[in-house]
Amino acid sequence: MRIYILRRLVAVVPTILMITLVVFVMMRSIPGDPVVALLGDAFTEEDAAKVRQEYGLDKPILAQYGLWLAKLAQGDWGTSILSGRPVLKDVLVRLPVTLELIVLSMAVALAIAIPAAIIGALRQNTWADYSATTVAMIGVSIPEFFAGVLLLLMFSVALHGTLPSSGWVYLPGTCPMVVCTGSVWANMMHVLMPAIALGIGRAALLTRLLRASMLEVIRTEYITTARAKGLAEKPVVLKHALKNALIPTVTVMGLQVGFLIGGAIVVETLFAMPGLGTFGIDAIIARDYQQVQGFALITAFAFVIINLIVDLTYSLLDPRIRYA
Amino acid sequence: MSTLRNVELPVVGELVDAAPATERSESPLAQALRRLRKSKTALCGGVIAMALVVVAIFADVLAPHSPTASDQNHTFETPSRAYPLGTDQLGRDMLSRLIHGSRISLAVGVASVLLALFVGVPLGLVAGFYGGRLDAGIMRLMDLILAFPIYLLAIILMVIFTPTAGLIGTIKVVGAIAIVRIPIYARLVRGSVLSIKEKEYIEACRALGVRDRSILFNHVLPNSLAPIIVTTTLGIATSIIVEATLAFLGLGTQPPTPSWGWDLKANVAFIHQNPWLALFPGLAIFVTVLGFNLFGDGLRDALDPRMK
Amino acid sequence: MRHPVRNAAVMIVIAMMLGGVTAAHAQKRGGALRVAYGNEIAGLDFHVTAGYEMIWVATNVGCGLLSITPEGKFIPDAAESWQISPDGLLYTFKLRNKVVFHDGTKVDAAAVKFNIDRIMDPATRSSVRTFYEAVHSVEVVDPLTVQIRLKHPYAFMLHMLAAYRMGLVLYSPAAIQKYSPEDRRAGKPEATISCGPFRLVEWVKGNQLVMDRFDKYFEPGLPYLDRVTIRTIKDPVTQMAAFKAGEIDFLVDFSVDHVDTLKAQNPNAQIMTGKETTPMVAMMKVTVPADGKPMSKNRAPHPIFSDLRVRKALGCYGIDRKEIVKLAFKGQATPWLGIIPPGTQDTVDVTSLCPYDPAKAKALLAEAGYGPQKPLTFELLTNTEKAVFNVIATVIKEQVARLGVTANIRLVDKVSWLNTATQDGPFDMYVEDLASLLVVDQNAYLAASTAAWNSARHTDTKVDDYFARYARELDPVKRKAIAKEFQEFSVENLYWNTISGSPFYQVAQPWMKGYTYQAEFKVIYKKVWLDR
Repeated sequence: MRIYILRRLVAVVPTILMITLVVFVMMRSIPGDPVVALLGDAFTEEDAAKVRQEYGLDKPILAQYGLWLAKLAQGDWGTSILSGRPVLKDVLVRLPVTLELIVLSMAVALAIAIPAAIIGALRQNTWADYSATTVAMIGVSIPEFFAGVLLLLMFSVALHGTLPSSGWVYLPGTCPMVVCTGSVWANMMHVLMPAIALGIGRAALLTRLLRASMLEVIRTEYITTARAKGLAEKPVVLKHALKNALIPTVTVMGLQVGFLIGGAIVVETLFAMPGLGTFGIDAIIARDYQQVQGFALITAFAFVIINLIVDLTYSLLDPRIRYA
Repeated sequence: MSTLRNVELPVVGELVDAAPATERSESPLAQALRRLRKSKTALCGGVIAMALVVVAIFADVLAPHSPTASDQNHTFETPSRAYPLGTDQLGRDMLSRLIHGSRISLAVGVASVLLALFVGVPLGLVAGFYGGRLDAGIMRLMDLILAFPIYLLAIILMVIFTPTAGLIGTIKVVGAIAIVRIPIYARLVRGSVLSIKEKEYIEACRALGVRDRSILFNHVLPNSLAPIIVTTTLGIATSIIVEATLAFLGLGTQPPTPSWGWDLKANVAFIHQNPWLALFPGLAIFVTVLGFNLFGDGLRDALDPRMK
Repeated sequence: MRHPVRNAAVMIVIAMMLGGVTAAHAQKRGGALRVAYGNEIAGLDFHVTAGYEMIWVATNVGCGLLSITPEGKFIPDAAESWQISPDGLLYTFKLRNKVVFHDGTKVDAAAVKFNIDRIMDPATRSSVRTFYEAVHSVEVVDPLTVQIRLKHPYAFMLHMLAAYRMGLVLYSPAAIQKYSPEDRRAGKPEATISCGPFRLVEWVKGNQLVMDRFDKYFEPGLPYLDRVTIRTIKDPVTQMAAFKAGEIDFLVDFSVDHVDTLKAQNPNAQIMTGKETTPMVAMMKVTVPADGKPMSKNRAPHPIFSDLRVRKALGCYGIDRKEIVKLAFKGQATPWLGIIPPGTQDTVDVTSLCPYDPAKAKALLAEAGYGPQKPLTFELLTNTEKAVFNVIATVIKEQVARLGVTANIRLVDKVSWLNTATQDGPFDMYVEDLASLLVVDQNAYLAASTAAWNSARHTDTKVDDYFARYARELDPVKRKAIAKEFQEFSVENLYWNTISGSPFYQVAQPWMKGYTYQAEFKVIYKKVWLDR
């Protein structure tokens, strides 16, 4: 087993590299480069040529990629062409924000999915069941940004600033800046609307899965035995069915991270959150190559690692599946 | 949004194949249709989807005004007889814009999914059937695409393609979204193929000298049909949301081609004085996506009663 | 149009009155001002990076030789007095004694020379180097006296030092030598050492910028504020929500479309604006590279817009500026013509030279050979930086359609636009607002025939002549006459096609006092205090 894990970990590396290479090449194929924006009004052809040379932008693409890799091997993620800021530092500053957003979105999704699934499983094929699934279905049909706008209107405008409309307050102790107030309460207030906007879309899938898994478990022998023993209905369902149903659901949640990362881009932009999402999209639009590479690297890394964990968890939990 | 990767769906193919046709006097297809008719969600969704198609096709006839003609004397009108959904900053009738916008949403939704289908299904068939190096190669490529969060890849692709207006602009969006969806179909079909490849009757066919192509088309493909249909319908819903999100980020079909996502984005800024300008496109997107989701869900339930 | 100007003037008067009334209260010391930008800061090297967002930080963290009031009067900054020699070639500045940089080193004549030399050095690639074209050399006379010698008389030397972009901003030579250009651009506090009322504490891009009171600032008692924090909120709806909730004290650059909504939501908010100093243009490309290589010296006429008649048809008589202003700005802008914007020095209103006359436009097009047999189609390029660009482009498209002309709008992101419009890329017409101008002299780098950013790519050296004559004329009356001539010339030839002014709005909470509106030029927090 351990050998299998090690082998998978090693296999992760070429995948990540492949992703960063593809992003590298794609970014270079976008028409226009950042040099014009960088030089601004002082633009002259000679200066532009000099700048391009300085940043290695005139070398062949693969050579540039090789250079990036070489620096990466030394732990240097490069510096942004436009702002001169070291990429790794900015990535590390932004990562906790997006991480918290994604985790809490999942929590929101579960908070909707679990009750809906329980209702659906217990009262199968009744109106309650249909309503629960429909509610989850509604969540998945609203684009994240529209949900965000509606939430913004409701809580920030109509209810006069009950929840802050933008910005971020870090959890105490995690603030990477010099000037910082850490506060759990303020942090929660800032992350609540974005997490809801991002999480409601995931609830539908989770509801369906949870409900199906719960139904399966309910039908199995040992539940009927428990019932035969005279145990009451609800605790039976909640304790055994839910617990067992959560396991495959959690693994699927891991697969949802892809949608969450993408949705985070939109939600972070709307709520002006200093996370990886805004980092990435600003970099792409500004053609800030180094920043995009940093963003691609951390995203690919997170994605691939999570997939790996999901696969491994799956195999661990289901003894029937054996990996050579 | 509701598509799974490799968790459940390959099993569906097996089930449809395994349902004994002799148990009742109906074929599996008829059984499925009957369940579909009974399902309220599918009915609801189907009606919405149909309505959208009708509106899109007859947009020119249904729209009371031109969606692009600006009128400086009638800007920001509240909904009224003449302008049932009001007018926007340029005095354009919102209702007409919504009606014409359905074309973009529908076109992008359907075309992107169909394109993904036409590329992904053959890839999956070939990969699953022939196995070996071909399989490894194709799946590597699919994994690479799947490794990207859906929006990230779509965004980068659109920035490369450079968003434009009109038909070309829409084609670019279709292409970007399709590329992102291809691996889903490839994997789906491949899984289906793998599950029946080893079956005896396939080997028998081969032994009898039946050509690979007919085996693929006559036996393998029909088994994947159910999950393909479900995935396609749900995929349309996802595509419409992705298109709207791209438009919101400024990377979709560009104006002046009317598009729901663009109108939503442009009018969100006026949401305080003229909320209907943003709410209506948002509702349009929501209702359409909901329709396809409901229909797709109903289809899934009809085709795989085990899930109920 | 009278109304926007009059309304603007009224608003300024009210703002000033409010300022006057509240000046009667004692200014309260302390507090943190929370500012919101609409765009991200690109970088913080004051000499090199471009962008208003950087400028508005530089005007608070940095100090220079002198500054300028909204009325156009020069006031001392680090220099307490100055003299100009009778021939206009020698500018002598006497520095104050007690000015120090944030790192404690003295602001002396050597520091001033160091900074100007650095800006003028091509290796620095300073974005303001072109403004120092007239400077011959800088001399240190004594530790507190510095002399700038010009190659030729330059009427706007003081304007340039005071307020072209952020004016001259002095860096501590010690800090420059110790830290790299990347450090400065990245906004490292130890590298960003100047002599302004605030010192940079930190800049976390995408998060916040913080500046604190510099205790050793040379003006006693100033600044009142302990701290200024700047956040970026791009979306106007989010901006308004933050403002209404009281999370933000000051919106530095607020979009004109939503001013009414904000006023309705916040009746006591201070909304500040003035005559526009930024032009909104529909620039037409006049020449293309003859050999296909961008920026080539070999020019060929642009197939459509090299013909003056077509330019006049589509840029002068064929577009209804009033309609554009009404639809794009809700009437809150000035329809305009000519190279000098409505709020810029020595401006002249020549809008009467181009009345909306579709019949005349069609006649001109017919003369140029376009008509039903040969319909005119062109591409209208604009970018997504501001929503209003696309609105204007759409209106123009509609308007030229009335002439039988088809305009295809191509909407791209800002970087693509920069690469195309300013680098001799393929375009026919673009809609954008360019730089805000204190004096039209600032515009030379955008409009002279030799300028790298001459996006119309015209080759008319008469434009250069006008710039030169205007800049070298020391008599203000004669200068005004030259400006009028220049303005009319720019309409006759339409190398530069202004549609209207681009309005600039700032919004402050009622408790923010002591701020003086000075258009895009100076955003200064030095005298701001919070009344709560």
